[in-house]
Amino acid sequence: MNLGESIRVAWDSIRANMLRSILTTLGIMIGIAAVIAVVAVGQGGQQSIMKEMEQFGSNLFYITVDWRRDELPTGKEFTMQDIEIIKANVPELEYLLPCAQTYSTIKGRNKSKTAQILGTEADYARLHPLKITAGRFLNNSDCQGKRRVVVIDEELAQELFPRDNALGKRIVIGNQALVVCGLLKAENSMFSMGTKVIYIPTRVWLDIYPNGGISYIEGGTRSPEDVKTAMQSSIKVLEKRHHSEDLYQGMDMEQEIQAVNKVTGVMTLVIGIIAGFSLLVGGIGVMNIMLVSVTERTREIGLRMALGARRRDILIQFLIEAIVLCLLGGIIGMTLGIGGAFLISALAKWPPLVSWTTVLLAFTFSATIGIVFGILPANQAANLDPIEALRRD
Amino acid sequence: MIKMEQINKIYRPHSNPVHALRDVDLHIEIGDFVAIMGPSGSGKSTLMNVMGCLDTPSSGAYWLGGVEVSSMNSDQLATVRNQKIGFVFQNYNLLPRMTALRNVELPMLYAGVNKDERNTRALDCIGRVGMLDRIHHRPSELSGGQCQRIAIARALVNNPDIILADEPTGNLDSATSLEIMNLFQSLYQENTTIVLVTHEEDIAAFARRVLTFRDGKLVNDEILNPHLIEPSAVEGGGDI
Repeated sequence: MNLGESIRVAWDSIRANMLRSILTTLGIMIGIAAVIAVVAVGQGGQQSIMKEMEQFGSNLFYITVDWRRDELPTGKEFTMQDIEIIKANVPELEYLLPCAQTYSTIKGRNKSKTAQILGTEADYARLHPLKITAGRFLNNSDCQGKRRVVVIDEELAQELFPRDNALGKRIVIGNQALVVCGLLKAENSMFSMGTKVIYIPTRVWLDIYPNGGISYIEGGTRSPEDVKTAMQSSIKVLEKRHHSEDLYQGMDMEQEIQAVNKVTGVMTLVIGIIAGFSLLVGGIGVMNIMLVSVTERTREIGLRMALGARRRDILIQFLIEAIVLCLLGGIIGMTLGIGGAFLISALAKWPPLVSWTTVLLAFTFSATIGIVFGILPANQAANLDPIEALRRD
Repeated sequence: MIKMEQINKIYRPHSNPVHALRDVDLHIEIGDFVAIMGPSGSGKSTLMNVMGCLDTPSSGAYWLGGVEVSSMNSDQLATVRNQKIGFVFQNYNLLPRMTALRNVELPMLYAGVNKDERNTRALDCIGRVGMLDRIHHRPSELSGGQCQRIAIARALVNNPDIILADEPTGNLDSATSLEIMNLFQSLYQENTTIVLVTHEEDIAAFARRVLTFRDGKLVNDEILNPHLIEPSAVEGGGDI
């Protein structure tokens, strides 16, 4: 019997028990749907992260204090003087920004909000894609002269000053009043979790938080090839100045991308294991219903044998039926999964990524489950004795 | 055509042996119409299974169309059943989800016949049993007699050497039984070899030759209707 006919027979028998068939493949459906949805959302998320990172540029690096060390080092924090000395000693550097950050309540005229207060310098705007819509970003004289100015985004401005133009208004951070000198186009980064970032000069930040210190140093080189050298030279300068080794940690984009890949890799593995179990249970369900089907159709099997079906014809017929059943579940699962991925992504605000590899993988997987769990029932069918089978009611 | 020598069939030879067939010697010629009779337990069903290559004898030799089939493996037997034997069952055994046409095409699927030829041959056989107006009906939409006609068309479709009919009228009323037996007789006139198993004498009366079994033994072999055409008179008939 040829393949087309076998598929037709399989489909006829599945259609004759449509509800049962669909319920049977539920496990496979859920398994495949979960895999597709998670992989699509995960890959979409990963791509968004990558995109966001690429915007930062491949010529960037960060230096932080290695907080994994047990004791909090005192007197080893970055100072403004460190920055000047590194700048003087590392010629590859184009920018070097001392950055300080904390979360705090800020007050507008009547309203307060929590925001991330980032102390930075004028060059920050050249390293990051910020869009100024009104006023200006921090400039060098703001930073050198410790001017009490702040840059916020439009949404925050709207919340703090609902009726007025926020530009030139005062907002209070800690015990200091700062004047809004620029407004940014609001952009929701997936890292921010809805918290707004406001920008003030680092020196002002250090005045507001005298107990705090510079959190990290952000550096940029003229060309991406120099990033590693510049980062290492900068760390050397710091180590020499603070008489400490292995205290400062550098990170460039390449490392960050690797870190993200590692996280997504682990996530994929975990989901893979869960989906694997779901598919295993689904496969057993299919095996079960195929055994029922063999019992129900014993006479049909006997008749087919009487009409000239060899054992392998019967084996292949039932195997194909199991595969078609699993593929049916796989296709429904895939549809649900893709739908789910778009739904989750709509809520999470990043585009899902359904790759052909994923679809192909789901298909192959469904078919494999069909073969693995179809073998036993199909073999049982093929080994029936035609006389016994024909006699069965 | 069919030659059996010293055929024995013993079920459960070790624990509780049942001697279903004892030393059966049998010869059926091409183009003959033979009825096998006997009460239940006489071994006629076992003989039918052995003759239909659904079962193998415990001992003895069986030639079908000049080929020794008693020692074949299950795949070879499947091919023999497909090519040389057409089965007609008491309960028709049509597949309920398929139309009459597809049911008739079924044996050709296992013979690897291409689609166009399947269609042509199926329609031809359905024509021979007078069911061309019902080809797209499912078995549930057909009467018992119509189902049996379709089953006979299915038995004919691979041009088998013999038609084996096991109580073909067992589920039919007497008027329909008569129609079916007339159909068999007309097939016999067209030179089809028919072996019919029945326990009803008036059904057996349609055959040319009647073999009677009792306790696994062939006890009577008579020509019931000598006026029907002699198989040897048919061209190509006779011994092999």
